[in-house]
Amino acid sequence: MRELILSDITVMGPGFCVIGLERVAQDAFRSVRPVPRRGNAWPETFPFGRGGMVRFIPAPTSASPPHLEDQNTHGLLSAGGCVGEAELVDMLHKAEVSTDLEKLFGSELHTDTHGGNAWVDPGSATRSICGCEFKNIRFRVFHDAGEVTLRARLVLQSGETLNSLPVVDRDWRRFLSDFIHRSSESGVSPAPEGFLNRSIWGKLMRAPWRFARIGLARGKPMEGKCWLMLDSLFPQPKTEWLSGP
Amino acid sequence: MGSSENLDESRALELSRQCVASKLPFQALPGDDDDLVETGLLDSMGWVDVLIGVESATDIRGFGDTWPEGRAKSVRALADMIREARREVPEEKPGQSSAAGTQGGPEVSIGAWGYALGAVTVSADQIESECAIPPHKIRDGAGIRSLQVAADTEDELTLGQRAAEAALEMAEIPAERIDFLVATSTTFLNLPSFAASLHSRLLLRETSGALDVGGACVGLIYSLAVAKGLLRMATEEVALVVASEVHSRRLNAPQVPGEFRGLFGDGACAFVLTRAADRGGRAAVRLGDFVWGCSATFASSLGAKWGENAGVTVQFKGEQLAHAAVTQMDRILEVLENKSGRARTEVGYFALHQPNPRVVEILAEKAKIPLERIPLPSATGGNLGSATCGVSLCQALTDLRTRPNPPQPPLIFMAAVGPGLIWGGAFLI
Repeated sequence: MRELILSDITVMGPGFCVIGLERVAQDAFRSVRPVPRRGNAWPETFPFGRGGMVRFIPAPTSASPPHLEDQNTHGLLSAGGCVGEAELVDMLHKAEVSTDLEKLFGSELHTDTHGGNAWVDPGSATRSICGCEFKNIRFRVFHDAGEVTLRARLVLQSGETLNSLPVVDRDWRRFLSDFIHRSSESGVSPAPEGFLNRSIWGKLMRAPWRFARIGLARGKPMEGKCWLMLDSLFPQPKTEWLSGP
Repeated sequence: MGSSENLDESRALELSRQCVASKLPFQALPGDDDDLVETGLLDSMGWVDVLIGVESATDIRGFGDTWPEGRAKSVRALADMIREARREVPEEKPGQSSAAGTQGGPEVSIGAWGYALGAVTVSADQIESECAIPPHKIRDGAGIRSLQVAADTEDELTLGQRAAEAALEMAEIPAERIDFLVATSTTFLNLPSFAASLHSRLLLRETSGALDVGGACVGLIYSLAVAKGLLRMATEEVALVVASEVHSRRLNAPQVPGEFRGLFGDGACAFVLTRAADRGGRAAVRLGDFVWGCSATFASSLGAKWGENAGVTVQFKGEQLAHAAVTQMDRILEVLENKSGRARTEVGYFALHQPNPRVVEILAEKAKIPLERIPLPSATGGNLGSATCGVSLCQALTDLRTRPNPPQPPLIFMAAVGPGLIWGGAFLI
């Protein structure tokens, strides 16, 4: 049995993709992405949260670049413990981290448009998940009748920026949905972008840690591009943040 | 519907198709009315990327942030949204002189220009030898045949002065007529500043302003934009814009990589801007819209820190920088096409920043523009920093002025990128 501390839970279609930290030395961790037997996503009923400790028996895996962290398994079991956010972020600092864009995935980043998201060549990237501290963040919300899409811009320690990162962090997406739902219920036209970029931005900037985990999407066949995503954003949103400043 | 509206509609449709096609590179383009999301061609993430692509190409901020309920997510709906947004914010278009001339102030034209290069010619072989660069890397790899570098008696001020005096002579106006000077130099690190020092050197009148503008390789475009804005909102009538760089001294340090130092020459350019359009016997061109931005995703490709005793530390990732420069410049051209309403095939000259001629060749190929429409001072002078696209513009304007049947009105696109990665562009008509 191997043991993981769940660090990332991201929205992937109707289910979730998860990553956990595996201890490889006293002060070092590596990311492992437990993958269910069928497909890449765990069902919507996935019972664990970030920081949760899980155990699994590895199954034969053919991980292909850049998703070298993939590890097939028949299922996850609770290991009965949970670490808090501060401890989890500390562990993430001891896993894959980078202060600049080039070292995020060991590969050059490309963009197709001004202000657009970046992508890497799947064949040249050496990993598909990496953490980084950020100096600033701005959110952008696209909405239409059916769906709300959250994107973010980040400034890394190096001063380099990542634009229009799709936010796939399950808990941030839920937070946004909750905000919109609450606003609608109270008869107020929701203005999520302003809320995120003012009230929530202030909380993020004042937080004792500002840490993001950037992941790579699985490239579409023929496209030859793995787009970047914001897998996890720390601090994680708190329910009480919905109540006001 | 008038013909210009028809044209707008077709351009908007074409632009929408391009943005959708970029997300569907291996599929036939769907029909203009097909709903891209409902048909499953795009997921919501891909659709948002299309919206951002349109925003980037059109410079319509917040494009599609709120998609109207009931409206299909189709090529035609995108085109309709573009046209609706454009109608809300009318823009300056070549050929629409009345609208262009009155929105936000009167027209501003470049009436005269001049440039000066360092007096010493250094061959590619010499550069390779002096900078310890492998043979042929400068000549064949970068496409630089020689550099023009400053003689011992030359500096940013003397080169700037020569360029400015040439422009004033062409304009046939005395220096006292200049209402303000806008100047840019990355290599001039002294106080008084470059603008103040050049103001004195040119003996501009004491009530004429002296304004320094940054921006490194984009500095000239920023300076032209600042000068245009000041001329349109103030009572002043004549501005002088100068860019001048002497890299050979600033980069002549052992810690500066030879393959970086070996690309740079020394030079200056100057332009006389006037508030009233003068299309008389001269080939004066009007300054159209400017575009700019900062794409910090590529910020680490080039950086420099000035230390004590004018020492400099350079961070230079050549291949990454060249790739980023080509990509960004191509995008600037795309934005200028949409700002100006004119395709790049109609452009007479491209006055571009030139890290080196090879990068320009790659850009020309990628952007599908004929190389002969890009005046190429970097081939014999090297990268002149902020003055590069200015000297290129001077050469274009001179060609325009002297050729027997110049296109009327002329159309010139300017584009430059600099550390940051800041970028800027303008069209001139």
